[in-house]
Amino acid sequence: MKIPAEIKIVALVVGTCAFYTYVGQLVPQKEVQPPAEVLISSDITTEEMIAIGEEIAQGKGLCLTCHTVGESGALRFPDLAGIGSSCTTRIPDKSGLEYLAQSLYEPDIYIVPGFNPGMPNIARPPIGLTNDEMLCVIAWLQSMGSEATVTLETRHSYNTDAPEAE
Amino acid sequence: MNLWVVLPVLAVMALLRLLKVGLLTWVLVWWGALYIGMRYGLAAPAPQSVITLYMSIVTLSLAAYVGSSRERTEGVLGPMIRLMSEKRYTPLLVAIALLIPGLAGYNAYLAAGLREEPPYFSRTVHPAPPPQITVGEREVDLIRSVNPYRELEESDPQAFEEHARAGREVYYENCFYCHGDALGGDGMFAHGLDPLPSDFTDAGVLPNFQESFFFWRVAKGGPGLPAEGGPWDSAMPRWEQFLDEDEMWDVLIFLYDFTDRTPREVGEFVNE
Amino acid sequence: MNRKLQILVALFGIAAFMAVALKVLMVLQASEFKSPVAAVDTVETPRDQALTELAEDRAAREQAKPYVDEEYRQAPVFGSRVVVWVLAQLHLLFAAFVLAVPIFAMIIEAVGYFTGDKKYDKLAYEFTKLMATAFSLTATFGAFLTFALIALYPKFTTYLMHVFSPTFLPYVLLFFFEALFFYSYYYGWGKFHPLVHLGLGFMLNVVGTAIMFIANGWLTFMMSPAGVADSGAVINAWEALMNFTWMPINIHRVIANVAYGGSVAGAYAAWKFLGAKTDEERAHYDWMGYIGMFVAISAFLPLPFAGYYLAREIYAFNQALGIMMMGGAFSWLFIIQAVLIGCLFLAANFYLWLGMGRIEGTLPFQKLIKWLLIAIAVCFAIWATPRSLISTPAEVRGMGGSTHPILGALGFMAAKNTAVNIMILTTYVSFMLYRRTGKRPIVKWAKWGNIAQFTLFALASAVVIFLGVVSYFVDAATRIRLSVPQVLAVLAAMGAMTIIDIFLLRGAEKTGKIHWGKLPPISQYVLIFIAVTFTWLMGLMGYLRSGLRMHWHVYGVIRDNSVDAFTPTLGFATQVVSVTVLIFFVLIAFVFWISGLSSKEDWQPRSSAVEP
Repeated sequence: MKIPAEIKIVALVVGTCAFYTYVGQLVPQKEVQPPAEVLISSDITTEEMIAIGEEIAQGKGLCLTCHTVGESGALRFPDLAGIGSSCTTRIPDKSGLEYLAQSLYEPDIYIVPGFNPGMPNIARPPIGLTNDEMLCVIAWLQSMGSEATVTLETRHSYNTDAPEAE
Repeated sequence: MNLWVVLPVLAVMALLRLLKVGLLTWVLVWWGALYIGMRYGLAAPAPQSVITLYMSIVTLSLAAYVGSSRERTEGVLGPMIRLMSEKRYTPLLVAIALLIPGLAGYNAYLAAGLREEPPYFSRTVHPAPPPQITVGEREVDLIRSVNPYRELEESDPQAFEEHARAGREVYYENCFYCHGDALGGDGMFAHGLDPLPSDFTDAGVLPNFQESFFFWRVAKGGPGLPAEGGPWDSAMPRWEQFLDEDEMWDVLIFLYDFTDRTPREVGEFVNE
Repeated sequence: MNRKLQILVALFGIAAFMAVALKVLMVLQASEFKSPVAAVDTVETPRDQALTELAEDRAAREQAKPYVDEEYRQAPVFGSRVVVWVLAQLHLLFAAFVLAVPIFAMIIEAVGYFTGDKKYDKLAYEFTKLMATAFSLTATFGAFLTFALIALYPKFTTYLMHVFSPTFLPYVLLFFFEALFFYSYYYGWGKFHPLVHLGLGFMLNVVGTAIMFIANGWLTFMMSPAGVADSGAVINAWEALMNFTWMPINIHRVIANVAYGGSVAGAYAAWKFLGAKTDEERAHYDWMGYIGMFVAISAFLPLPFAGYYLAREIYAFNQALGIMMMGGAFSWLFIIQAVLIGCLFLAANFYLWLGMGRIEGTLPFQKLIKWLLIAIAVCFAIWATPRSLISTPAEVRGMGGSTHPILGALGFMAAKNTAVNIMILTTYVSFMLYRRTGKRPIVKWAKWGNIAQFTLFALASAVVIFLGVVSYFVDAATRIRLSVPQVLAVLAAMGAMTIIDIFLLRGAEKTGKIHWGKLPPISQYVLIFIAVTFTWLMGLMGYLRSGLRMHWHVYGVIRDNSVDAFTPTLGFATQVVSVTVLIFFVLIAFVFWISGLSSKEDWQPRSSAVEP
C-alpha cells in the first residue's frame, strides 16, 4: 500500500510541531504574575518596613534580578550583603542614608569601583517605586549589616526640599 | 575524567578500527561509547537531563550522517535487512526481538523504583550574619569584632603558639569528626551529611570572610542560620553550649594557622 | 427539452416557489392575531396588562443604561491574549513570506538576465506566483488583527493611535503602491523590457520594506518606547517611530524574512517534487528546491549576528529587560531556540551532503563529511547546554554543587558564541564542498587558491576559538565587545573565501554530471522539515519579543491591567506556537495548491463514446 506523499507531509508537519512542543514541556515551567501592589499604611514600624522592602526587592523593584546578596567572586553588579554598614564609608562626608538614597534615585552619580554603570532609574517607570517604597527598600538595605533606622517620616535629599535629615 | 571507563572504551574502538568493521557497527559503537563516556566517564557525574539532551543530539547527528548518502544508508540498512531476511540469522533476530521489549521492561522497572527525593532547596552557603549576637553573657558585634588573640601573632608569638595549640586540642576533640583530620571537610561522618562540612583548605572559605563570621558559625551553628541558609539542613552544632568563648576564638586561631591563611580585614567587604 | 433548459426551469421554479412561500409567511406574520373564538369583550386581561408593563419596564431600563468605556473585552473560549497572539503571528508569517519572495525573485531574475539563461527567469516567475495568494492572506490577517485589537483592547489601541496616527496614511498609501508594483510585476511578466521589469521588482521591494519598517515602529515602540512622556502623551512622533530597537528589528527581520521565505519556497518545490510524474518535472523541482535552500541558508548564516545585535540593543535600552531575557524568565526559551537552530543546521548540512550525491565524483569529499558532522554535533551540544542544569538533589551532591565543573563552563555566552560561529563556518564549508563537487579547477593558481581558502578557514576558526577562550577570563562588558571581532572574522573569512572560489572555479572542468532529480525522497522531507522549523522558530521568537514586556502594553508607560497580564509558562507558549504553525501550514497548503493549479492541464469534459 503506497501512502501518498501528502499524508506523509502532514504527518511530518504535525510530528515536527509535536516534537518542539514536547521540548517546550521539558524545560522548567514558570508562570510569572505581575507584581502585587504592596500596601504601605502610614503607621507601619521600621521592622515592617524591612519586610516590605525585602518583598519589593524580590518583586516590583526587580533588585534581585541583577544584585546578589552574599555572593563573592566575579559579579556583574555589587553584592548587597553588609551594605548597611558599608554605606557609611563609601563616600566621605556622605551619611549612610544619603548614600543609599543617592544609589537608589540617581545610581549613575557614584559607581562602586570595579563595576560598570547600568542601574536603571527605579523611581521612574517601568519599575516606578514611590517615595514610601524607596524608604522601605532603604530600611531593608540598612538591615543587612547594621540596624535599620528609617521610618516613613525620614527625609533625605530626594523626598523633600528640606535639607538633610538624620 | 574516569580513566577506568574511558581507556577501555577507547581500546575497544581502536580494536574495532583494526578489524575494519562495517558502518552499522561503528554507528552503534559510537552511540554506546558516547553514552558510556557521558554516564560513567566523568569524574563528577553529569545530570540525567544533560545526558538525555546530548544523546538526543548524538542520535540526530548520527541519523543525519547515515542518511546523507546512498552508500552510507546502504551500509547501515543493508546488514539490518540481511538480519531480518536471511535464514541463518534467525536465532540472532529472535534474540534481538526479545531484547528490545526486555530493555523497555527493565527501564520501566528502574523508573518505578525511583528513590524518594527530598525537594531541592537551594541554600545560601554563606549567608549574611546578623549585626550582633549574644554569646553567654556578652554581646559580640559581628561587624567590627576581631579575634582578641589575633594580634598576639606579632606582639607575642609564644602566646600565639599556645593559643594555636589550645585551639588544636579543641578541634581534634570536637570538630575533626566532620571536618576531617586535615581540615578538608572529609571527616568520618561527612558521608552522611548534606550539606557537606566546610572544607577549610578551600581558598574560597577562610580568607574570604572576617573571623567574626566564623565565630558566629561556630557559636550558633546550624540552628543559628537564617532561613535562606537552611538552618535545619545543617548538622553544625551550637558550640556555645559546649565551649566557652576563648575556646572558640582559639580554634579559629588554629584553623587559620593550620591552613596558613589570613582572615579578611574588618571594613573590607566582599565586593570591594 | 434538453438538459440545460430543464435545469434552468427547475431552478427558476424553486426560486419562484421560495419567493411565494416567503411572501405568504411575511403576510401572515405581520397580520394581527385573530382568535378563532369570538371574543366576549375586548378588555385586557390581567395577564396582558402585566406583560405590557414588563415590556415597558424593560424598555425604560434599556434606555436608562449608561454608556461605559470598556478597557478590555474578553474573547470567548480562548481569551483575548491568545486570539491577538495567534492572529498577529499568522499575519507576521504571511507578511514575512510576502516580503521575502520579491527579494530573492528579483535576485534570481537578475541572474537570469545577466547570464542570459532563461530558466532563472521562469524560476523567478514561479516563486512570484506563490506570493500572489499569500498577499491577500496577509492583508486578511492584518485586518483581522486590527479588528481584534480594536474589539478586545479598545483603550490600548486608542492609545497606539494617539501615538501613531500620523503613520497610518503613509502606510495605506504604500499599500496602494505595493499593489501597483506587485501586480504590474507579476501580471506583466515578460511584457516589459527586462530592465524595466527588474525595476518594478526593485520598487516592490523598496515599498514592501518601507511598509515593514512602519509596522516595526509600532511594535518596537511597545518594547522600547521613546518620544513619549511618562503619562503617555506624545512628545515627538518621529522619535516614537525610530525608537531604540527599531533599526535592530528592521535588520533582523529583513534577513530573517529572506531565510524563512526561501525555506517556504523550498517546501513548495519539495511538495511538487514528491508529486512529480516525469523525470523532467523532478529535475526542475529538485533544482527549485535547491535554490530555495540556497537562499534560505545564505540568509541564515548571518542571522545569528543580527539577533545578537538586537539582544545587545535591548540590553542597552534597559538592563532589566536584557537580564530578564537571557538570565531570568525567558532564559529557558533560548534553550528551546538552541534546539531548533541546531536542528536547522543539521538539516541544512544533511541536505547539502545528500545533494552531493546528485553529482558524479563526490567520493573525495565524502571523507570530510564526518569531520563536519562532528563539528556540528559538538557545537550543537555546547549551544544547547543550559546555564543552570536541571538536576535532582542527588545529582547536585554528586556534582559537588549546582554547577558541573566541566559542563558548567559550557553554559556561558563565551562558549555559545564560539559554538555558533563554528557552526556557521562549518555549514559554509559544506556549501563550498557542494559547489566544488564534480568540478575541477583549471586556473593555474588552483593549488594556491585552495591553500588560501583553507588558511582563511583555519584562521577564522582559530580567532573564534581563541577569543572564545579569552572571553572566559574577562568581565562582561569586554566579553560582549569580543564578540564583534569573532563575528567579523567569520564574515570576512566567508566573504574572502567566496570571492576566491568564484575566480577559482571560473571555467572549471566538469568531471561529473549533475543529475537533477536523482535524489532520495528523504531530501524533500528534510526541506519541508526546515520550513516547519523556521516557521516554528519565528513563532517562538515572536512570543519572546511580545512576552518580554511582561505586564506592560508599552514598557514603562502603559500598564497592562487585563486578566492576561501574566507571563504564561513556556509549555503553554509552545502549544500556542504549534497551533499557529499548524494553522499556517493548512493555509499555505491552500496557497501551494492555488499556485500549482496553473501548471495543471485544463479541465476536459468527459468525452462520450457515442454522440447524442
